[in-house]
This record gives sequence, C-alpha cells and structure tokens, in this order.
Amino acid sequence: MTETVDVRRRVLEANEAAARLLRERFAARTLVPNLISSPGSGKTTLLEATVQRLAGRLRLAVIEGDIATERDADRLRALGVPAFQILTGGACHLDARQVDRALAEAHFGDLDVLFIENVGNLICPTSYDLGEDFKVALLSVTEGDDKPFKYPAIFARAAVTVLTKVDLLPHVTFDLEAVRVQLATLNPTGDVLLTSARTGDGLAEWCALLERRLAAKRSAA
Amino acid sequence: MHELSIAAEVYRTSKDAVAGHGGGRLVAVRLVVGELTAIEPELLGFAWEALLKQSDDAGARLDVEWRSARQHCAACDAAKPRGEGTWLRLCPDCGQPLTVEGGDELDVLSVEFEQDGGGGHD
Repeated sequence: MTETVDVRRRVLEANEAAARLLRERFAARTLVPNLISSPGSGKTTLLEATVQRLAGRLRLAVIEGDIATERDADRLRALGVPAFQILTGGACHLDARQVDRALAEAHFGDLDVLFIENVGNLICPTSYDLGEDFKVALLSVTEGDDKPFKYPAIFARAAVTVLTKVDLLPHVTFDLEAVRVQLATLNPTGDVLLTSARTGDGLAEWCALLERRLAAKRSAA
Repeated sequence: MHELSIAAEVYRTSKDAVAGHGGGRLVAVRLVVGELTAIEPELLGFAWEALLKQSDDAGARLDVEWRSARQHCAACDAAKPRGEGTWLRLCPDCGQPLTVEGGDELDVLSVEFEQDGGGGHD
C-alpha cells in the first residue's frame, strides 16, 4: 500500500527564506549587487577598478564565490578592501545560506556597498536569490555577440548588463548593435553599460549608477 | 549543472514530507517546473537517479509537470501567446514591453510513499 500526500512547497524555499532575511538585514543601508558572468569576463577586474574609484567615498566589501582558491579575494584585499572568499568546492553557484555564513565570519561592519561576485557561470547562479538588490550580468566582447539569446535567463533578469573589454572591439568580431537589440528584447528596462577596466572607459558611468542606486535605496526607506 | 543541487532540494523536501507523515520509502514525487527556471529536464532526471541510487529510496520516480509562462501586453490590454522557448519580452503586435507572469515555478506538489512498519519485517 502506498500513500500520497500533498506537499505544495517551493523547492528553493530554504534558499528563499535565507535570501529574505539577508534582504531585510541590508534594507536601507547597504546596496548589494550580485555579479554574474562566465569565467573570464572580468568580474574581479571590474571590481578592482570599481573599488579604486569608490573606496575613498564609500565603505565597500566583497564576497567572492569560486570553486577553488582565494585568488579573487586576495586581489581585492591587496587594494585594501575587505573581502571574504566562499569556496563552493564544486558547486556552480552561490546560495543565500553561504552568503549568510560568510557575513557571520567576515565581520565587515557597516557597509555602503557589498559586492557579491558569483561563481563564473551564466546559468546556475540565475536561479538563486542571494538577497541582492539587483543582478549585474557581465559580457566581455571576446565571448561573442550571440550570448544574450543563448543564455536568456540571466540577461532577462539582470537589471544591469555591463559589456566589458570594449577596448578590444577593434580586434574582435562583435556586433554591438546586435547585442543591444538582443538585450532590449529580453530586458526592455535594463541598463546597458560599455566598459573597459584597462582604459577606464565607462567606469565613471558604472560607479555613478551604483551611487545613484544606493541613494535611491536609502531615500525609499 | 545546478540540476544536482535542485534534485537534492527536491529530495530533502520530499523526505521531510514523508517523515511528517510517519516515514516510509519514497515511491514518486510530483514536481512542477516552470519553463523559465532554466532547468534542463533530462539533466534533472539523471541527477535524481544518481542522488537516490545509494539510498533506501532508489528507484523512486520523479514526475515533472511543465508550466508555461503567461504574457500580457499593457498597451494592447491583452494576453499574448508565447512561442515555445522564446524569451522575447516585447509584444509581437505593438512592440511594447510585455509583463511576464509565472514560468518560474519550482514546487513539490505531492509525494507518494510506502509506509514504514506495514510489512512487519523487523
């Protein structure tokens, strides 16, 4: 004899509950962007360039997610920014409980912006709410101009898409207009920024966007 | 790739439900998955099998119901059909942004299990 019982529970409810608590904790004080891209798109490099521009004015910290090594956290610590490295040991994304544990261990204190750099992956991190204010998708021009339509979930959900390494545009086949059309179709209200951490192009705009969103979050509270 | 961690959460949720009803061996789980969850059905099936293989619940079925997303255009004030697999969020008729609802479901609906103690084999 078998018995069937109704369950009707969200599979990710444990993660969602943890994300809700994180969001309450950050409410009105700390802006939390969740950076998502393939490996090698330049998430850490963008963060290095960002903290160098904002560190004097804002209290910043970074949570890094990687399968292995402290390399990314070390790169940010070298710039004087508190950074905590989460090692997922094989998992392809961060979840909210890991972020919660990282915060408990890191003792960052009061922050204006907490950057979360997710594990390099365009698919899995999309499903996991980390209590962030918004997702940032990075796409480097060397990855090819067909990626938004090939990985639609992240580009549809990211409030901001940052195109990186645009200094390489003259050297690669990358149809910027085609990418803009794909992004506008997937995500009509999203922001799109063109940046190069090497030349500094677009970084002032990116930092201004962060400051604007921080101010908007605080005034809404 | 995250299908394995999703499968693990489905399994945990199902085990909790069975435990809450006296315990037993899992026979089948009914799961609802929305088409916008970026979950690959075949991979989820493989992950489920692999996960349960060494457990007492080996062989339990995972029955997946797929749910589509609904689209609405505010400008046309009408529901707009959604082509299979498309992520375009602009109205096919007027080009304005669409409101997309649903398609992100990921719920365990019910579990079927064989109750412990019924066979009296201990």
